[in-house]
Amino acid sequence: MNEAVAGRRVHIIQGEYKVISDPDVVLSTILGSCVAACLRDPVAGVGGMNHFLLPGSATSMAASGDATRYGVHLMELLINGLLKKGARRDRLEAKVFGGAKTIASFSNVGEQNAAFAMEFLRDEGIRVVGSSTGGEHGRKLEFWPVSGRARQYPLTGAETQRTVALEQRPVRPAPKPAVDDSIEFF
Amino acid sequence: MSLAEKIKVLIVDDQVTSRLLLSDALTQLGFKQITAAGDGVQGMKIMSEQPHHLVISDFNMPNMDGLGFLQAVRTNPSTKKAAFIILTAQGDRALVQKAAQLGANNVLAKPFTIEKMKAAIEAVFGALK
Repeated sequence: MNEAVAGRRVHIIQGEYKVISDPDVVLSTILGSCVAACLRDPVAGVGGMNHFLLPGSATSMAASGDATRYGVHLMELLINGLLKKGARRDRLEAKVFGGAKTIASFSNVGEQNAAFAMEFLRDEGIRVVGSSTGGEHGRKLEFWPVSGRARQYPLTGAETQRTVALEQRPVRPAPKPAVDDSIEFF
Repeated sequence: MSLAEKIKVLIVDDQVTSRLLLSDALTQLGFKQITAAGDGVQGMKIMSEQPHHLVISDFNMPNMDGLGFLQAVRTNPSTKKAAFIILTAQGDRALVQKAAQLGANNVLAKPFTIEKMKAAIEAVFGALK
């Protein structure tokens, strides 16, 4: 996306993350059962957001299946991006949004996603300074990564249904490292 | 005793969660001797006190990153023979090339599956069972 043309609004879709240090940029996303973790370092003036839906069921870290590794990967990409821009792990603070329990999905996948994010942040010692998870309605979320301000609007029932249907399409794979098999190791 | 049980593994990652996932995956593959460290400095301290056969290390870490750690392992006579697999969440060709130049035995991309981890280790040690 051309950020200049988009007028300092950067939209994030499922499987993506963005790190920003421009105070005028607002990150936005639309969440049904998905979860967005918004992290920032208030001292370094840098923040970011990711947006994920764990594939299959991820009950807890202890289960540590492929779904958990995928979620951990997306959290790690965001954290690494922040650290690269001068953030320090011990100063990071987080806000967590999403994980709606929608009637359409007949499952607690949203709850599992929110629980995963909270558990990950707790295990990593990252302070959660705000959260809004669960409920029956999806959310439109805006996050100003430098100030840490967040604003959410509830989606209507129909919008929530549409969002959940979109989320349930095949999961976009997490960004893969361009590891080149042609390099000889032995 | 299987090969996996004999191999002493050191996992190095700054994320607590990643260390747990790595340790869990290794346990599922039959490894029993697993030690963990949070960065290259801590990893090197453990390696100098008690050399391990296999090091699985993240690339992005504070204090001493994965490549710095690899270099330190390869230049210390008591640790230089250890097998070294570097993990990368956002690798690029330059990083992989640099790791190969510095003497990494393999690279494993995150998020990894148990099968990919097994394949990466077996490429270095041969069949685990």
